[in-house]
Order: sequence, then C-alpha cells, then structure tokens
Amino acid sequence: MTNILTKKNKPAGAFVQWLMKSKAVRKVGLGLMGVVAFLLLWQMLSSTGVLKLPAPDKVVTDTKELILNPFYTGEGNDVGLGWKIFASLRRVAVGFSIAAIVGVSLGMMIGASPLLYDAFDPILQVLRPVPPLAWLPLSLAAIKDNESAAMFVIFITSIWPIVLNTIVGVQQIPNDYRNVARVLHLSKLDYFLHILVPATIPYVFTGLRIGIGLSWLAIVAAEMLIGGVGIGFFIWDGWNSSLISEIIIGIVYVGVVGLILDRLVALAGRLLTKGAENG
Amino acid sequence: MAKPLIEVDHVDMIFPLSNGKSYTALKDIHLEIKEGEFVTLLGHSGCGKSTLLNIVAGFLEPSVGGVVMSGRQVTEPAPDRMVVFQNYSLLPWKTVFGNVALAVNAVFPKISKAERRERIQQALENVHLWEARHKYPMQLSGGMKQRVAIARALAITPKVLLLDEPFGALDALTRGSLQEELMEVCQEIGMTCLMVTHDVDEALLLSDRVVMLTNGPSSRIGQILKVPFPRPRSRHEVVNHPTYYSLRQQIVDFLHQQKRRSAPVVLTPTAMTTSITIGYVPLTDSAPLVAAKELGLFAEFGLEQVELSREHSWGDLVEGMTTGRLQAAQMLAPLPIALSAGLLEKNPESTIRVPMVLSRNGIGITFGKQLTDQGVTNFAELKEYITRTGDRPVFGVVHQASMHNLLLRYELAKASIDPDRSVELVTAPPSQMAYHLKTGHISGFCVGQPWNSYAVREGMGAIVSTSLDMWDGHPEKTLAVNTTWALNHPEQEIALVKALISACEYCDTIRKRGELVEMLSPYLNLDPELLQSGLTQPLNDEKNYHRLHQFYVGQSYCPVPSEGVWMLTQLARWELTPFPQNWWEIADRTFQLEVFAQAARELELPDTVPDRRSFSLSDGIIFDADDPLSYLEQFLIRRAIDFRSVVLA
Repeated sequence: MTNILTKKNKPAGAFVQWLMKSKAVRKVGLGLMGVVAFLLLWQMLSSTGVLKLPAPDKVVTDTKELILNPFYTGEGNDVGLGWKIFASLRRVAVGFSIAAIVGVSLGMMIGASPLLYDAFDPILQVLRPVPPLAWLPLSLAAIKDNESAAMFVIFITSIWPIVLNTIVGVQQIPNDYRNVARVLHLSKLDYFLHILVPATIPYVFTGLRIGIGLSWLAIVAAEMLIGGVGIGFFIWDGWNSSLISEIIIGIVYVGVVGLILDRLVALAGRLLTKGAENG
Repeated sequence: MAKPLIEVDHVDMIFPLSNGKSYTALKDIHLEIKEGEFVTLLGHSGCGKSTLLNIVAGFLEPSVGGVVMSGRQVTEPAPDRMVVFQNYSLLPWKTVFGNVALAVNAVFPKISKAERRERIQQALENVHLWEARHKYPMQLSGGMKQRVAIARALAITPKVLLLDEPFGALDALTRGSLQEELMEVCQEIGMTCLMVTHDVDEALLLSDRVVMLTNGPSSRIGQILKVPFPRPRSRHEVVNHPTYYSLRQQIVDFLHQQKRRSAPVVLTPTAMTTSITIGYVPLTDSAPLVAAKELGLFAEFGLEQVELSREHSWGDLVEGMTTGRLQAAQMLAPLPIALSAGLLEKNPESTIRVPMVLSRNGIGITFGKQLTDQGVTNFAELKEYITRTGDRPVFGVVHQASMHNLLLRYELAKASIDPDRSVELVTAPPSQMAYHLKTGHISGFCVGQPWNSYAVREGMGAIVSTSLDMWDGHPEKTLAVNTTWALNHPEQEIALVKALISACEYCDTIRKRGELVEMLSPYLNLDPELLQSGLTQPLNDEKNYHRLHQFYVGQSYCPVPSEGVWMLTQLARWELTPFPQNWWEIADRTFQLEVFAQAARELELPDTVPDRRSFSLSDGIIFDADDPLSYLEQFLIRRAIDFRSVVLA
C-alpha cells in the first residue's frame, strides 16, 4: 500500500498522501488494516482446518440472531445479548460505585494521617494481590445471595487500587500548597475542597481506571460461577452447549465494553482535572 | 522611637542531624523592623536567610529566642504575615481570579460578596493582570505567576509582606520590571516588607535597610547597611545616586569577605584535627615551611596540628614519603616526577603529587681549594684541567633526582665534560657536603644554600656558579604530598597550599628577610649570620642577590608541568629514568594544577599557570615541552635514551 502511495504521478496519490499525513487518519486506517489482516488469517486457518474453531464468516452467520436482536426478551434467562451486558454492567456499577466512595474516603483518611497509614499499610499490602475470584467463595459463604456476592467481589477487587492511589495522591500534595493553606488559615472544609481534593483527583482517577478494569475482569469470571443473566454466564453457557460461535461473539463484546468503560473513566478524569496539569 | 512592628529577639536555629549531631544555622539574630520599612536579608546561599524568613513567617519555630509582632509572639503562620514564595505556590486548578479569591474569602469571610470582588479586582489591577483573570497558572509566564502571587498577598492587606527570593527564578528583564512594580505597589500603601535575596542591586533598589548575614554555620548578622535614597524611588534615580556605588561596594566587599572566611569554616572539625607531618631537609629554602609554622599560617587556614620533621638526607625524606610516615614534604623539584617515571627499582607504595612550588633558584656550584689553587674557577678551566692532568675529579650532589645533579651535569656537558666519564658524581646529604670538601673526598659540589656560603666562609673554596647563572627561576623545592592522603583530605591539602602560598609571599618580602633569617636559624641549627647570604646579602657580588631565592614574585609558587617535562628529558639523558612515552600525562599528573588553582582562587590570586611551555637555559638551546625528543637528541653528550611507556598507578 505504501508503494502505491509514494507514486506521485496519480492525482489521487496526492490526496491519499495528504490523508496519511493526518495522524488520526493514519492511526484508524492502519488499525482497520490490522483487524482485516487478523480476520483473514483466522479465516484461512479455520477453512484449512489448522484451527479447530469456526471461521469469522461462520461466527457471523451462527450468531446473526444474537447480533441483530440485542434487546430480545424471552422466558427466564432467555434474553438478548444487550440485556445480558446490562445485567453485568449493573453489578459492576453497584460494586464499583461503592468501592469508589469507600475507597476514596478511606484513601484520603489514611493518606492524611501518618498514624493510620502505618496501621493500615500492612493490611493493604496483603489483601491487594489477592485474585478477584479468591473472594467469591468467601462472599458466597458470608452473604448467601448470588447477586450480592458478585457485587461484593467487584467491590473488593476494585477498592485496593482506588485506596492506594488516593493515599499516594494525598501524600504527594506539595508542601507549598500546604504552606499557602497554613498562612491563609484555611478552614478544614476549605482545605479539603480547594486543595486536598483538586490536588488528589489525578491520582484518584488513576486508581479508578485500574479499578474499573479489574471489575470488568472479575464480573465475567464471577458470573461463570454463579450463573443467572450476564455476559459471563453467556460465554460459559456457550461452552456447555458447544456453541463456539457464541463464545467468540461474547468475548468480542466483553472486550469492547471493557475498552469503553476504561475510556469513559479516563474522560471523566480529564474533564475534572482540567487546568490542574503542569501547575 | 516608635515600637517596632516586628522584633526578632535573639534567635538561634539549631537543626538536629540524622547522625545525632546538630547543625546551628542561625546564631543570636536580633532584628527590629519598623512599620512601613523595607528590610532585605542578604547573604550567600546557605547562610540561613530563608530560614530566618520562615521563622518570622511562623513556619519554623526557633530553637532559642522568638519573634514578636505587634506585641504578640509568633507561634504559627498567619495572614497578617503573608508570604510570597519563590516558586509562586499558586494552585494550578484555580484561575488567576480563583487563586486570589481563595485568599480573600478565607481572610475576609464576613464582608459582602461585592466587597470581596472589589478587593480581588483592585489587587489584580495593581499588578496589571485583571485582563488575565480567567487564565490558569499553567498558561502564564513565570513573571506573571509571581505577579499573581504578589496580588494574592496584597489583596488580604497583611501587616507585613514576607518575600522569599521572589524574583530568583525569573530572567533578568522580567526581574527588573517586577522589582519596580513591587516597589511602586509597596510605596503606595506603605507596606512593611522583609525580603530575602542574594541580588545586591535588587536589595539596594528596594530596601531601607540591607541586613547582611555571615556565612553559615552559625550565621549572624554581619553588617546592617542603611540605604538613604529618598522615596518614592525610581531605578534611574537610585542607580545615579552619588552614593550608590560606594554602598554597592560595601555589600560586595562584605560578601567577598564572607566567601574568604567560609572556606576553612565549612570543613568538618574531625577532618581538620588530624595532624600532618611535613618533612624537610634543613636548608635556606626551607623558609616557606618555617615561616608558615612560625607565623601561625597553618592554624590560620584551619590546620591545627602541623609538625615539621627535620630529615637528615633526601633519601630519608623519600623513604618517609613513600612509606606514608610523612603526609607532605618539601621535596627536590625533580624527585616526584622521577619517582613517577620509575626512579626506584621497586615501585613506591604510595604516589606523590605536587600542588605547588615552594622555592625557585637558591643553589650554587662550589669548587674546592684543590681546584681553585690550580687556577680552576670555571668549567672551561675545569675541562682544560682534566685534559691536562688526566684527573677525574669527584663532585658531590645531594640526590640523583635533584636540580643540583641535573644542572651540574648540564653545565659539565655544556663545557664538553662528560659527567659520567670525565668526572665522578657522588651523593651526600647537604650538611655533610662541606665536611667532604674539607677532607678532600670531593673536589666540588652543587648544593643548596647556605652550604656554598659556608664553604666560602670557611675558606674551603669558591662559588663558581649559582642558579642565577645557570637557569634563573628554575623550580627548586616543591611541596610534595602523599596522593592517598590528599585524596582523603582534600580540604586539608588545599588549606596546606594556601598556608604555604601565604608563607611564600612573606618570604619574598625583602624587608622581612632579616626577620626570616632569625626565624630560620633554630630550624636549621645554623647561626643567623651564615643564613644572611642569598637572603639579605649577595653570595659573591651579584647585584640581584635578592633573587637568588624566589618564593612568590612572578607566580613563583605555580607548579608548571612543562618544567617537569624538562626534568624528564634530563633524567632520561643521564639514564637515571626511562623517558616516558606519556611524558605529558606524567607531568600533568605529578603537578596538581587543579588543587593549586583551587587554592589560588580561594586566596584570590590568579589561578592560571604562567606560560612556560618553551624556554631555554644559559646555553640558549630552546626547550619545547611539546617536542622534548628533538631537544634531547641535540645534546652531544648523553646516554642512550630508554624510551618507553610508563604505567601510572
């Protein structure tokens, strides 16, 4: 393709060259090419029988119904993919929101107090590396309700990066800002609102971004085990029914939704920290 | 007199250090600031001026004493002592307006919203930033940021404005205009200000009084300068005021004085208390060492324990240096470089380096009676005498690697006398030389003063040549230091060089020479009368006899590596050492120009070495340090040159 582009004798060539100069166009163009190449390779490997999986065209024909009717409503668990994703998202929303509120508050308290920091740091360090699913049996035992247990897993998974990053954010507030607050005799509330929170926000959002990613990872795994409506169970169900195409389409949806979630949190962070960079 | 607005009452500030010791930053600071006064704290960096400002601000609590403002003791920061920080300290997430508003809202919670806005607007208009009120700090230049910080400070009408090097981070142009802006605003409202700076002109422009702090540790108020320029001021008027330059000079002098004072003070006490033993062989040109000791110069530069160790011979002294018994020594100029080039069969345990030349000239060649009685009074006559009689006279030199040996050989060879074949050269300590001459073991010698004069006085012979005839200004004795010791005691090495340069200056002061003779006598164990010749009297009848010993004049104390290269050529010429392929590296490594330059700078002397890359001796043959081999090759009388690379330790 680059060969064609470098030929300058065609009038169209100049236009394409101009397009290539634009970074965004270039990025999207090459990205699409990558996807197409990947699909072609997959198609080739599957149709020659090297790969024992359905080829992309077969995946699409198999799951046409699912793709075209995302909001179909049947009996019991028999609902469209859209509903299933919503069900998963709802669990994540509840678990993650609670984690964000509790995590940021805890982080600010611990970060502001060297006493609390020293007291809680060992606990944080031990619990932080525990894999999400390790919490599931414990939460099932404690809560005895599938739905709440799943949400608890989300909560407990995403809270650690939020707490830890908030602590760092509070601890790194430059001495200069604190000195300004000391000279002006800022009230506790003013200090919190005008200095502590704005100075910590970039760190909080780093924590939130890591947290939402972990939540989405955890919910898919948790749903496979607890069943019910949800994208995770949908994938597991596909395996049980030997519907490999459904598994593949499930994975694609999980990936896309995860990406969107991450970008949404990043965007929110950017909007809130506007002007705060490079103080 | 009105009561001061702020009184800094005998404040000490002591910081505990992690190693359990403590550091006294400020000592006994007492300062009163009147209302409406602009006071500047000036001093070198690290003198504790910012610490003092932080104490007044309330960020730091003094270890002793306290600060009283309007009759109340300062215990914490407060808006009536508003600070303008060097790094602006604006909140990056707030606009210009927001930053000022935060201060105004916090300090005046009870006034109406309109009044607050009025205040903010007024403050920003004062610094010409009202138009930029919606901008964020990251969108502003450094100068604009500092103007916002000043506006924020003035908007809350503090009783005193504390400025910590407010313009330190700005470029000169911005700094200038901001200084004037600050001056205008402060003059208008009669603001009391305390500012920290190290900019002399800034201090003079803005202040009513300049408080100069001495260098730390234990900084004190050194001098307070009243700045009498009338207000309102303008930069133009201030700079053109008749007293401006004399005031400026006073401050600059003070700062210079502090710099000089600071060097010995910053040394850690433990490093300075270790004793130094300096070896010397008693000769007239031991003068700088003796003078430094007697005049207390070592102590003055912070070296508390310096012992002078009298060595019987140069061999003893070399042994002392190579074994580490001596940390430093007065050494024959060619000796250190000869050791580097491999004079000793066995490599010495420790290497030696030369940070300065202690003396130049001061040696002479004396022919004994057995020669002079035969009418031999110069080298041409000696040549003729040898040819005629077939005699092989014996001459004494003090050490193989001495200027005595190299110059005597040079003179002999110049007169076509092969110093190895036609005569015999033997080594003996200087003090034994006259004895050997008297007993007839030797027919003449080349030795340092006063032994030539001694031989003449005792009627043993006649001086036929002195340094002035052979190579006027040749390096004679150098300060050699043990490299390992020097690397572990860098401050002491520099202090040593400084003390000895100062001593050299004294030794070259002609009217002090009488005093010097008295001083030397006990160290050399010789009667003063003998020491007169060469210092206060001629040896023979030279007119420029006071140049027979050179210590200071003409940067005599400078170590000159090219002279070292000349020594290498002569050492190689007589097969005393190989000639190193890396001759320049050897010379450069032996003569420690960096240490010398550092010491010279601290004494405010020129730190550059006089250009002596090319010179000639009495025969006019030009030596070029960049081409020593051609120089060597043109000598008719010489041994085979052992040309090889010498590995440096």
